[in-house]
Amino acid sequence: MSPNPTRSRSRVALAVLGGVWVAALLVAPLLGSHSVSLAAALRGEPTAAAILWQLRLPRVLLSLLAGGGLALSGLGFQTLFRNSLAEPYTLGVASGAALGAVVALRFESAAAPLGLSAVALASFAGALAATALVVGLALRRQGVATQTLLLAGVAVSLSCSATILFLQYLADSTQTFRMVRWMMGGLAVVGYREVLWLLPWILGGTVVLLALRWDLNLLLTGEELAASRGVDIGRLRLQVLLATSLMIGSLVAVAGPIGFVGLIVPHIVRRWVGQDHLFLAPACLLGGGAFLTACDAAARVVMAPAELPVGILTALLGGPFFLWLLILRSRER
Amino acid sequence: MSQVASQVASQVARETLLAARGLTWQAGGRTILGPLDLDVRGGECLAVVGPNGAGKTTLLRLLTGLAHPAAGTLSFGGRPFARLSRRELARRIAYVPQIRPAHVPLAVEEVVLLGRYPYLSPLQLAPRTADFAAVEDALRRVGIQELRGRPVDELSGGERQAVFIAAALAQEAQLLVLDEPTLHLDARHQQQLASLLLRLKDDAARTVVLATHDLNLAALLGDRLLALAGGREMAIGSPAEILQPEVLERLFHARFQVVRGGDRPLTVLDLAS
Repeated sequence: MSPNPTRSRSRVALAVLGGVWVAALLVAPLLGSHSVSLAAALRGEPTAAAILWQLRLPRVLLSLLAGGGLALSGLGFQTLFRNSLAEPYTLGVASGAALGAVVALRFESAAAPLGLSAVALASFAGALAATALVVGLALRRQGVATQTLLLAGVAVSLSCSATILFLQYLADSTQTFRMVRWMMGGLAVVGYREVLWLLPWILGGTVVLLALRWDLNLLLTGEELAASRGVDIGRLRLQVLLATSLMIGSLVAVAGPIGFVGLIVPHIVRRWVGQDHLFLAPACLLGGGAFLTACDAAARVVMAPAELPVGILTALLGGPFFLWLLILRSRER
Repeated sequence: MSQVASQVASQVARETLLAARGLTWQAGGRTILGPLDLDVRGGECLAVVGPNGAGKTTLLRLLTGLAHPAAGTLSFGGRPFARLSRRELARRIAYVPQIRPAHVPLAVEEVVLLGRYPYLSPLQLAPRTADFAAVEDALRRVGIQELRGRPVDELSGGERQAVFIAAALAQEAQLLVLDEPTLHLDARHQQQLASLLLRLKDDAARTVVLATHDLNLAALLGDRLLALAGGREMAIGSPAEILQPEVLERLFHARFQVVRGGDRPLTVLDLAS
């Protein structure tokens, strides 16, 4: 934020994260239940080339984007609500998106010609509705009640999960299997359609958060002070919530609800790059992408030849991490 | 330097900087403040005193544009608030609120630089030279240059208050509005803060409005005191006029004794009576 040691440290940390991101992009496609030789794929060996270019690379690109989007959304929520436990999963936004998508999957036959966009639209609607509901419940004349925010998030999550179970009960067995599998969160894709679909949403979200970086930085000193310096708090809230909800809606539509990346990554990245959102936003994009890609690579390898849905792995890591944050907070008090 | 500044200050002193007419604020259909007419003159320090719930903070929030009046008008330098954008207003009026988050995860210098928000555009990658110069000037005036790299969370209450005052100075606004600046400070830090505010008033040619429970701070800094009770002006005048046992008793419903008279009287609350 200024020509002091923290700024150059932030630059170095960001450069290191960039290096890790590139390493994830280069190495992760080679990992999986089948080991693929890069040389073979480059020679044009059909099986190796097909696995690498049509399965592994798009999957890695998708996880880089989705992980970045999840971490960025978490960052946006945490700064906006001044609460380190806020993220798309704990606030029920991901559950809202999931419910929307499951409704679309249930009535897929009617929406079949629309393909991805039906699920995506429903997912957007779910994410926005959940955000509006949770924030609306927690909104007070003077700011947002964070306790209510998290409790409302839990309530919305539970209601969405219950509705999803109900829809699964009503669905036939094929649909049920698809829903359950999708709910676990996964990045198994063929080709680049989903990657191209996700790209503008995540980039757009990044640009919005970067453009608002002064406002977000100022918000760290409190809403009253930010407002006295000229920040329109209501408009800022709307901009950030819209950007994060659209990112979540778009990525839940293709990858299912993947939890806790938005909690873990901003927390770690903040320790490295500091609090300036000029560095934090790109750091979350890079760090979140690399983190989810690493998780997904691990999920492909640990139970080979079977694949673990990556959402299960992030939830297994995220639950204890959430508890650890809670313990840290209770010690601080 | 301070001679020039005080000449400038005495020149602007004649003009009204901030004018409120028929200012009213309501909550839940009940009138909390007003109707109130108030002129803040350029270069003066106006201290707002009064009991809890008198509407001091509400008045400050209205004067800074943070709250919108239910009725009445506000203007700065002759321009109505309605014709000024939030940023334009923030370049004219800086506010140091009483309530701030317990946890501010930033370094001193970062907080002070954020005082430059009204001058920063989302398109610029880094603050400009003028921004850094304003930050340096603010750090120097408040005397916290050596704290610049320290996390705000590690500072004492008095140092923290100084940081937020420095941030408000970096805002380079003509009018500085402070809500209870000495609250929660021990005796030594109260003294330090009082001398800091006195210096700012004299050398920085700022107009100051502050709300305080500390009558001695009000006497030391205030050119005029506004006694606020039940959201209305009970009296307004020089420290010598306001800080009299009868006025104070009417204002606070408590007994005070004037220990030392003069232009800036020293009063104590008589707890025993």
